[in-house]
Amino acid sequence: MATSKERLKPFLHPDFCKGCSRCVESCNKHCIEPGTEINAATGLVPVVLDVTNCNACGLCIDACPEPFGLDTASDLPSRPQPAAPIPSIPDERIPLPAMRPLVVKGTYASAIGAMLAGCRHFYGYPITPSTDGAELMAKMLPGVEGHFVQAVSEVATINHMYGTGGAGLRCMTFTSSPGFSLMLEGLSYMVGAEIPGVVVDVMRGGPGLGNIAPEQSDVKLIARGPGHGSTRTIALAPATPQEMLDLTMLAFDLAFEYRNPVIVVCDGYLGQITGRVDLPDYMVKPGLPGWAVWGDAAHRPNLHTSILLNEVDQEQHNFKLQEKFARMEEKEQRADVYMGDDADVLIVATNTPARTAKGAVAALRQQGIKAGLFRPITLWPFPIRQLQPLLGRTRAMVVVEASAGQLEDELRLALSRADVHAPPPITHINHFGGIMPQQNEIVAAVRAAVEANPPKRHSAIPKTDGESVTGVLS
Amino acid sequence: MSVFYEHFERHDHGQGLKAHATHYCPGCGHGVVHKFLGEAIESLGLQDDTVLVSPVGCTVFMYYYMDVGNTQAAHGRAPAVAIGHKLANPKATVIAYQGDGDLASIGLAEIFHAANLGLPITIIFVNNAIYGMTGGQMAPTTPMGLKTATSPMGRGRHEGMPMRMAELIAQLEAPIYVERVALFDNKQRVKAQKAITKALKLQTDRVGFSFVEVLAECPTHLKMTPLEAEKWVAEKMVPLYPLGVKKDVTPEAWPAWPQPSFDPERVARVVGGTTEDVPRFAKGSFPETGFGSDVALKLAGAGGDGAQTAALLLARAGIQEGFDATHIPSYGPESRGGTSYADVHVAATEVLSPAASTPHVLVAFNAPSLAKFGPTVVPGGVVLYDKTVITDPPSLPGVRMYGVPFAQIAQELGALVVKNIVALGALQAATGLLPKESLLLAIRQALEHKKHLFAVNAQAFERGVQAIEALRQKDVS
Repeated sequence: MATSKERLKPFLHPDFCKGCSRCVESCNKHCIEPGTEINAATGLVPVVLDVTNCNACGLCIDACPEPFGLDTASDLPSRPQPAAPIPSIPDERIPLPAMRPLVVKGTYASAIGAMLAGCRHFYGYPITPSTDGAELMAKMLPGVEGHFVQAVSEVATINHMYGTGGAGLRCMTFTSSPGFSLMLEGLSYMVGAEIPGVVVDVMRGGPGLGNIAPEQSDVKLIARGPGHGSTRTIALAPATPQEMLDLTMLAFDLAFEYRNPVIVVCDGYLGQITGRVDLPDYMVKPGLPGWAVWGDAAHRPNLHTSILLNEVDQEQHNFKLQEKFARMEEKEQRADVYMGDDADVLIVATNTPARTAKGAVAALRQQGIKAGLFRPITLWPFPIRQLQPLLGRTRAMVVVEASAGQLEDELRLALSRADVHAPPPITHINHFGGIMPQQNEIVAAVRAAVEANPPKRHSAIPKTDGESVTGVLS
Repeated sequence: MSVFYEHFERHDHGQGLKAHATHYCPGCGHGVVHKFLGEAIESLGLQDDTVLVSPVGCTVFMYYYMDVGNTQAAHGRAPAVAIGHKLANPKATVIAYQGDGDLASIGLAEIFHAANLGLPITIIFVNNAIYGMTGGQMAPTTPMGLKTATSPMGRGRHEGMPMRMAELIAQLEAPIYVERVALFDNKQRVKAQKAITKALKLQTDRVGFSFVEVLAECPTHLKMTPLEAEKWVAEKMVPLYPLGVKKDVTPEAWPAWPQPSFDPERVARVVGGTTEDVPRFAKGSFPETGFGSDVALKLAGAGGDGAQTAALLLARAGIQEGFDATHIPSYGPESRGGTSYADVHVAATEVLSPAASTPHVLVAFNAPSLAKFGPTVVPGGVVLYDKTVITDPPSLPGVRMYGVPFAQIAQELGALVVKNIVALGALQAATGLLPKESLLLAIRQALEHKKHLFAVNAQAFERGVQAIEALRQKDVS
């Protein structure tokens, strides 16, 4: 080859010559001719090389598209030993002194959580109502030599994250529903290639451009697994600015524990609510996982890919992913129960509607009605384990959400998968477009549920036909 | 040859001949480009540092062969992934290898943005004028008239015109080196090898973004022998895609990137954390307002009335006293010039529902706000309104009404913008919600960078308080 210092003459490996003859023309000494004999191993017709007149110019090797077709060595390297696993540099938790509570809005709390979780790379595309979080990251990151990149689109954003996450570092984005839709492709690749990252989705009104007011429009996209393929991502649903911080920090830990993206999902309202946020007593200095494609000698053997052309390999890869998702389902169900133990009626809600529902529970208790709140913190995995013990006593459930039953679908699916085939009757309050469920209508819906479902008598036959009252819309 | 794996373990588990043979068709240009890239990496001593991003297309499996750090990207996104790697580890040599469909069709946004960002990464763009992996469809770089699977009559006006990517990239300010090379004879191959090496060298020297377009052969889908394909490139593609350097500038190199900091003091400072104690004036006992331990307030006016600022000051003061508090700004188009309203809660321990649809306290800066929200105030609640602009308040039975000329007082103080602070003072005096000192402290903190404005704000606050006291005097007398 042109850079060959020793000027060695070429050697032809007929098994690796596909007979393309690009080398024939390259040789000024006419040492190579198209062949005529079929190679038994390949079924192809390799060229014929005669090095008698060869001046070792190497040009034929440069013309050969095959790494081992024309070579300067006659022996082929043998199969190397499998590489030893690469050790990880562990994360460190650095203590922080007790600090004054912050008074910040939800998106800010999340951004601050990301900083404390050791995220130093932010990629994002402006989209209301999530942009405040990105803007704060743009302000904060230069102060710690971090990187902020305004991407060309949400599609590019999630692929920047694929790169930085693939290099083993903590990175994130803020987005809102239409932008989240655009990230689904990349999220599927991240799940497939097992690349961690955190996406904070501040959900807004849809479908289409919808509006910039709060909704819970993306629950179906997030809880059913993002993008194509059998994907899963843990989805954390905060209800307060404090949880925006806490759950964003948790999201990074979970993303790296499972090598999988994690979604922090909130509504536009929560993004804008200012509240009290206590800072944690530690921050994270991330290490470097052994699997990182980092760009040094130690990590050179590593690869991130989601393509496995061989069917068996692809199925095995899916089995492996499904085992991981099963571990998540086993370990990561999280919920908050408020006055649920003795509740006759359970309200099921997340994000801001859950906060409003909490107010409704307090008001109902004052009226002598035993209402409780079941608030899934993980939308996937759905916290069925925390819900099931409450079902024995509960006479009815009211799902309160700013979508057309996307959370209710998760609830019903989780009940069904847990073999709860005769759950208490479920009614719901659905709102859209920025109209959020109000406390008084939740109170009314619970009262209606109480009246429609009197305490069971011994002789009563449990209803199994899933009678449900629909559309308690104001 | 050391940059190639000695054994292609990832190529169908390295079975049989696949351990040393590529998956490419005979005569494919990609194998030649791979070798040049490998030689460039080797000659510059970059094998350990390299992160190679494979695209979608025939070269999706580059990681079968190249013994470097490997990442496989989604279709068209290789430059975006490359940026993610470069910013993670700026010492890495990051190469995105792309075909014509990947780069010039589905990935246009990513390649232009990456080029325009100008970070020192290297793009190897292999232009063979056709889609290979999907089976010979038209590419953005397919010459006019060429028959492909998706232009069976030959590419015509309907199918658009061939795109000259090297020239387009060279038009941008940020890229520093753009060259188009080919593979069809010894001379071209030497140039191609040099160009790839130069592009990598410029990256390692942190000069900037380098881009090498390689005109390559796809004999299979051109339905030619490899030698015919070489000739076709020379005769049909080169006139359309002129070879040579399109741009070669040497600006000042990028500075070495400092390592991200994890110093706890710096991090705390950046996130606004402080260990400094603030004085508490309520001494931990929640104010007696008559509205219980969770007080709901609504502040409503037009944009610019300062309702949001006053609301935030209340929330901040409440939280600094050790209570819980929330503030929700009004949302959507309403907040653009029309009504601007804020829902605030201050609660002894926990704000349950942060909305204030039936507030205990309403502050109305204009008549429409009072008309809209006045009737929502709970019985026994308090309404404060700007008497300057609301001369004929509606009657709200069961509600304590206080008309205070917020705007007029503010004007008398020479700063109309402080009318919200007049209102805040009035609110404090009328409800007792939070000690005066707490609210004044919150105001002082908000004006940390405009300290000279504190005096007029303090005056405004006091005038609000006095206005309520005067009204009470009047009630008594």
